[in-house]
Amino acid sequence: MTNRCVRLLLDFDACAQRDSGQDSVFLHRRDRKFALTCEEQGEKPTSKRWMAYINRFNDAEAESRQALQTLRSWRRINSGFVAFGALFGILSMLGLLFYDGGQRINITVIIAFVAFQLLLALFTTVQSLAGWQPWRLVLRRFQKNAPNDIKTKLQPVLMAKAAQLGGLCFAFAGLLTLLTMVLLQDLAFGWSTTLETDAQAYHRFIGIIAAPWAWLWSLAAPDLALVEATRFFRASSPDTNINPALWGQWWPFIAMLWIMWTLLPRAILYFTAGLIVERKARRLLATHPAAAALQYRMQTPTLETGNEHNDSVDLPDISQQFALSPLPNARVLLTWAGAHDTALPQTLNADKMVVAKVGGSMTLVDDRNTVAKVASALSKKSSSISDTKPKTKAQKPYEYKVKTPKSEDKKAQASGQEAQESAPHKVSATTSTILKTSLKADDHNVLLVTHSWEPPTGELEDFIANAYKNWPKTAHIVIVPVATNMQREPQPHHVQQWLRFANRTLPDFVSVSLLPTDEVSSTLQDTQHE
Amino acid sequence: MNSAPNFAVVGHPNKGKSSIVATLSQNDAIAIALEPGTTRSSQSYPLSVDGKILYTLVDTPGFQRPRKVLEWLEAHSVSASDHSDTLKAFVGQHKDDERFTDECELLTPLIEGAGIIYVVDGSVPYSAQHEAEMTILRWTGRPSLALINTIGFEDYSDIWQAALGQFFQVVRKFNAVRAPFEQHLSLLRAFGQLEPQWEKTLDKATQYLSKQRQQRRSQSASIVAKALSDMMSYQEKRTFAQHENVGSDADQGELAGKLSKRWYEHQREREQSLRKSIEHLYQHQRIRRQETELNWHSTQDLFSQDSRQHWAVSRRYLASAGFGAGAIGGASIDALTFGASLGTGALLGGFMGAAGSYYYGAKLLSPALKIASFGKGLTTATFGPMQDSQFAYIVLGRAVDHWWHISHRNHAGRDLLDLVPGDNHWIEGLDKDSRRSIQRTLDKIRKQQPTDESLQQRFTEALQECLAVYEKWQADKA
Repeated sequence: MTNRCVRLLLDFDACAQRDSGQDSVFLHRRDRKFALTCEEQGEKPTSKRWMAYINRFNDAEAESRQALQTLRSWRRINSGFVAFGALFGILSMLGLLFYDGGQRINITVIIAFVAFQLLLALFTTVQSLAGWQPWRLVLRRFQKNAPNDIKTKLQPVLMAKAAQLGGLCFAFAGLLTLLTMVLLQDLAFGWSTTLETDAQAYHRFIGIIAAPWAWLWSLAAPDLALVEATRFFRASSPDTNINPALWGQWWPFIAMLWIMWTLLPRAILYFTAGLIVERKARRLLATHPAAAALQYRMQTPTLETGNEHNDSVDLPDISQQFALSPLPNARVLLTWAGAHDTALPQTLNADKMVVAKVGGSMTLVDDRNTVAKVASALSKKSSSISDTKPKTKAQKPYEYKVKTPKSEDKKAQASGQEAQESAPHKVSATTSTILKTSLKADDHNVLLVTHSWEPPTGELEDFIANAYKNWPKTAHIVIVPVATNMQREPQPHHVQQWLRFANRTLPDFVSVSLLPTDEVSSTLQDTQHE
Repeated sequence: MNSAPNFAVVGHPNKGKSSIVATLSQNDAIAIALEPGTTRSSQSYPLSVDGKILYTLVDTPGFQRPRKVLEWLEAHSVSASDHSDTLKAFVGQHKDDERFTDECELLTPLIEGAGIIYVVDGSVPYSAQHEAEMTILRWTGRPSLALINTIGFEDYSDIWQAALGQFFQVVRKFNAVRAPFEQHLSLLRAFGQLEPQWEKTLDKATQYLSKQRQQRRSQSASIVAKALSDMMSYQEKRTFAQHENVGSDADQGELAGKLSKRWYEHQREREQSLRKSIEHLYQHQRIRRQETELNWHSTQDLFSQDSRQHWAVSRRYLASAGFGAGAIGGASIDALTFGASLGTGALLGGFMGAAGSYYYGAKLLSPALKIASFGKGLTTATFGPMQDSQFAYIVLGRAVDHWWHISHRNHAGRDLLDLVPGDNHWIEGLDKDSRRSIQRTLDKIRKQQPTDESLQQRFTEALQECLAVYEKWQADKA
């Protein structure tokens, strides 16, 4: 039973050590499932059942090996104590019964020795209960276990049990030696003490000691006559008047003395030590940090929030960077999905053949009509249009310098949703100037103003496809994404999404340009003055 | 309708739908990018308790051709009563049409009975251009809630709130990256209010989530306690045979250098593993840390002067904690005399503890090399454990700070975790008992004395208190 408890504790400890490297979510799920299975079957989810459950699906040999190793080493220690106890018991009894024929074997010495043995046995038990280990320093030198290790904690009680076993063997070997000596030799017992005591007092003392068995075996409880007759003094010559048989009549007392006050206490204390080991093992199991964690896992429902799915690597490819085109002159201005809500600069609105809203709240029929209208405008003789000089200031090819908005950049880093911006931003943040010559003749350009922050959708793609189909081959759409604040450039990651869209849609038909912010601010001011 | 409710998170592309789902499902492995079209198919994220699903969030792609869909629907519908059937027919007819893949993906959960969570970006101006989307959603006839997620820095959420109120039963503001945990729960409760039969389930789910959060805090304290014990007791050891001469000063200097290097590396690794454990506990698997590549000289290194300056406690604090811890030790003398010493032991112990802590509080006590003969011709050289009790407070301060950042970080966050050192004033709010328990345990560990279960328990409780104090300190600071 004791071994089973210790074995369970050691197995549990080994299992807990193995689990320490496991993911806590997995452990929770596993142990909660075990608890729910036990509940279904109407069983209590004890540590023992848990071990059986776990070992059913695992190679439990590794853990068992560890536990067996520990138990085996304690078995060796126990064997050592048994052998040493037996040998010491024989030698001690031979020493106590040493009789050269000249002196009597002193009963008082034997009683004192038995009392000493009793004290030792009790001390061993108390020491193990108190957890005091005077030999700890010696052991620490050799032990590999950490001070908080479960094996170290078991050490005092296991050591006490081994010591009691040694004591038991000592007592048993002593008893056998006594009986053998009684059988083989004529032993002469007597009593002697320096103290001035009379035979009556000594008899009372003997009576107290023999009380437990006197009622059972009267021969083993010496009477006053025997006590009076067997006193001896080492200084005086032996009294030859005494019947020699009297000297030998003490042996039943000695045998019972040994059995009652040495053998029996050791046997009881050995049994008690076993119980103490068992109790300690149970307590260590109950207070094992892993047991508390196991209880928690078994009692607490597992909560899975849906975090198994992982598509973090399945991101759109935004590594490729595309360049902006300079903003060309154009005679057609379209605003996509509410971009007309934004106050557009005068330069953009002025001198346009067609200005129309498309997308968003406009119907698909409206969009189709606008495509047709623009197609018709673009199909007119370009010469008549090209003769007409634009009234607005001549635009130089647009220089787009992507500035690094430092304050915004910092803010963007603080936001997780903005974090993806960093890759395109780094590339575009170079202050290199992007210069391109005009793509087409001005009269074939169609400016399509969009909200930079809105993503290009399938509907815009359809609109462009429809325009490509219906407009002259020389026509070209220039997407102009605008920011919420017209005086500021759109954010780089917003611009990049439009550039990527243009590139994957119809790169020869669609390009992206930005409004020059300096002109925007001046024309916006002009508009305000007007 | 006995089955668990589903909530489809829908909206225009790139408005933070996946961020909302990532935060509510505590999943930092959901692809989130500023590029439209990151989510190309709908994905379910069920919340389950003991395997039983309480509710499911469905992340969906954004609307691509809402006007076309609406045009088709209007062309095929006779009256309002057939709206949902017409939608079903649309999905049935277009499921293999590449142009409407996104629409079919997002409409499928709705026609299967999911509630609508319509997400808009409150950091851009309101636009009436999304009305086609909202009309389609109304055609589903499903209960709906609009969520204003603020992605950028400008705030137009009030205008959005007023406008969306005309289309949706409930309109809520929710910043997927910054919303505190209480707001997550409040939002989930709002989901529950969309249908009477969902309310109980969502309440139950929020209770479980709330409990899980409390448990995570106590688990965090245990993890920090274990790491502190490990780090304070760690010894780098090397055993030599007698013939390997390490007697000369030069040899010992070289040996001390090697052992100390390994000792410092181990301590840093242990701190990193502590951080990983805390992150895993809170289901943050993919955090990129600012400090990852930092070395010894970095200001954020565990042993840097900056760390010491920021996280070490004051000498006054050490003295008071040392007094308490010493007094407990001294009280055992009083116990031995059955009180005959009239508390002198506790007083003396207290003074000794306070004096020692005060004296050593300002000194950097690095571990020293110790060489001892082991018998059998063996010599052991050891480096550590750390004798400087300030080191434990530096580790503690950094651990608590990291815990706070992780426990308050939403799973939609993809920014680098930058642990900017704070100051140590937070610990001033810690009660005396907790201070004493911490100091006493640290002293025992430092002296390599075994700590019993009750002391370990008190230590863990004191660390739990530290977490609470730090959280309060951060809240007050904000």
